[in-house]
Amino acid sequence: MSNEPIFETMIPRRNARGAEVRSLLAASGLEIEKDIQIFVVACDAGRIVACAGLAGEVVKCVTIAEPYRGSALACRLMCEVQMLAMKRRHSHLFLYTKPGNAVLFEGCGFHMLAEVKGHACLMENTPVGIRDYCDKLQPFRQTAQRIGSVVINANPFTLGHLHLVREARRACDWLHVFVVSENASAIAYAERLDMVRAGLAGMDRVTVHRGSRYLISKATFPGYFIKDSCVVEACSTAMDLLIFRKYIAPALGITHRFVGSEPFCRLTAKYNEDMLDWLETAAEEGAPIQVVEYPRFEVDGRAVSASEVRRLLARGDFAAMDSLVPVATLSQLRASYPRVRPAVDCRATELIGVM
Amino acid sequence: MCGTLESNDLLVKVEPRNELEVVISSVVMRQFGVRIRQVVDETLQRMEVTHGLFVIEDKGALDCTIQARVQTAVMRASECEELDWSVL
Amino acid sequence: MKKPRRSMLFIPGSNAAMLSTAFVYRPDSIMFDLEDAVSLRAKDSARMLVYHALQLPMYREMETVVRINPLDTPFGHKDLEAAVRGGAEIIRLPKTDCAEDVLRLEREVEGIEKECGRKAGSTRLMAAIESASGVVNALSIATSTPRMDSIALAGFDYVVDMQTQRGDGMELFYARCAVLHAARAAKIDAFDVVFSDVNDDEGFLKEVNLIKRLGFNGKSLINPRQIELLHQAYMPSEEEVAKAKRIVEAALEAERAGHGVVSLNGKMVDAPVVLSARRILDLARSSRASAY
Repeated sequence: MSNEPIFETMIPRRNARGAEVRSLLAASGLEIEKDIQIFVVACDAGRIVACAGLAGEVVKCVTIAEPYRGSALACRLMCEVQMLAMKRRHSHLFLYTKPGNAVLFEGCGFHMLAEVKGHACLMENTPVGIRDYCDKLQPFRQTAQRIGSVVINANPFTLGHLHLVREARRACDWLHVFVVSENASAIAYAERLDMVRAGLAGMDRVTVHRGSRYLISKATFPGYFIKDSCVVEACSTAMDLLIFRKYIAPALGITHRFVGSEPFCRLTAKYNEDMLDWLETAAEEGAPIQVVEYPRFEVDGRAVSASEVRRLLARGDFAAMDSLVPVATLSQLRASYPRVRPAVDCRATELIGVM
Repeated sequence: MCGTLESNDLLVKVEPRNELEVVISSVVMRQFGVRIRQVVDETLQRMEVTHGLFVIEDKGALDCTIQARVQTAVMRASECEELDWSVL
Repeated sequence: MKKPRRSMLFIPGSNAAMLSTAFVYRPDSIMFDLEDAVSLRAKDSARMLVYHALQLPMYREMETVVRINPLDTPFGHKDLEAAVRGGAEIIRLPKTDCAEDVLRLEREVEGIEKECGRKAGSTRLMAAIESASGVVNALSIATSTPRMDSIALAGFDYVVDMQTQRGDGMELFYARCAVLHAARAAKIDAFDVVFSDVNDDEGFLKEVNLIKRLGFNGKSLINPRQIELLHQAYMPSEEEVAKAKRIVEAALEAERAGHGVVSLNGKMVDAPVVLSARRILDLARSSRASAY
């Protein structure tokens, strides 16, 4: 019986009212991001007055029309988003918003993770998300001076990755290897992790870590996962790096981060550059981390690239792969992909300054 | 999940865990943080809840509201239809 | 002195903030709604909120009513458990169409009272009439059980059932009369419909004056602002009070003097007139007593 706004869900591109959402966002300088699957909108007397977009676990494109600002509607909107996300089996949510709005969302049950000053902040809907993750890392902390880190997608794990790990390990007392866990690559995470473990088996002073939402994920580095996106936005890489520096590195006492040089992909090359900025030189939270870049491992005068291996995999050309990947990777690929797979993703970018 | 973030209410989120943990975030943390924890703990104890992660976002709710929301969250999480009134 | 029952404030059972604070408005009775005001997904949490709110000291001091969901829904019985165990004075049964609906409710209530050790018969019932059938069966509903506390007319669903809309009140005329007559015949109270336009004070007062003249004991309200307006409208005027005082005094005089007949200003005053005067004084006294 009250005149409060009612909430609905909608998919703008399939809905005639999508244009309303677009203009509401435009008024705040926002555009509907490609990866958003569904919106929660608040309607008052038939007009859309607030909206929040959901892209998997990430909430973005949140805006409330001027006259409705004030925390009551925001709270209800964020509750509705969380309920919708729960139905879609995502209880742990991340939120991107402008720094000025952080306080508002703190009142809506979201907690600050990191801020790229003047650009954006990333928040999550639990006070103990990053805390729990770092707690899980603590037991793996080593007491030594130089603690290194490497983050790889290993899509698949190649001799290039192996070379990087060997070099990095030589340069520090202990090396933590993280495998990107977001399952958005041609080769599934479980397989990639297996390949890495197999490839590094027997190496001491190395810990292989499962990846997490806090490290090169759709939450911390969404730009990487948007297909065909070579858009290199100012803060697209920063968030991920800030979180690494502020939380992950301190949990393990990491002092160094090792990367391979990136001759092929602009996005990855930028990520490497930014790494130097955000991890080492910028004045940000968390002790500075030394970034060390190694030249790519070459075979027959050519840099080994995981995307090249994927192209060979698509053709079923295991013979050619032989010189590019370790034995364990080759057997795993043979076993998992016995036939030619034309649909294998031949995405040119491969991350993390490796391959 | 149960509740709202409106004034005088609270949001209770439950996730499976191997042990019992209660995390409280409140707009009146300083004055009532301890009391809120007490009420939540007692409510969980009476319902014999032994594990789960309970995240409470409180906006100044009365004890009775806290009890009600926590009880409902537990029932939803355990998908329990029948209520044993003696434990409430 | 009978407690006034002019204002029955509806509170959505799912609104924790309102449950925490509604008592400050001091309505004559408070109705916690688990039915129409609560969305499907919030039914379970509203039930628990109301169960606990009922036990708060401030609500113990007031008359509490709980509107449960119909018993043929998945929620009705659980609502009833919560309401009876929580200590609600009255259970409001929506969509009461016939006496059997009430008797069915009564059986369930009896069972719960026994199980939880609540005094048998302490939970009273209010039938909400929301359909043509209900109106037509009003008398048998009103007299169906000694637990019957009152009968209320619910306007929205009723006019839908009657295939018309809310308007100037003509559409409720017969229903109001039928419900009132049933209530009076059964010697229980009668409550009128909700006035949903919270911004229309004039319209609200017009309706209040109408139902007061018809003889309703009170009205359901959805906004605390309406409480004050309603109480003022129900307050007897000074003139009425003065006149009533004189009548009652004359009656007392006659009693003291042993006269069989009461007279005032040379005219005979019938017993019903004296009764009516007493009621007015009661209303005036209790209105003042319950004023801020």
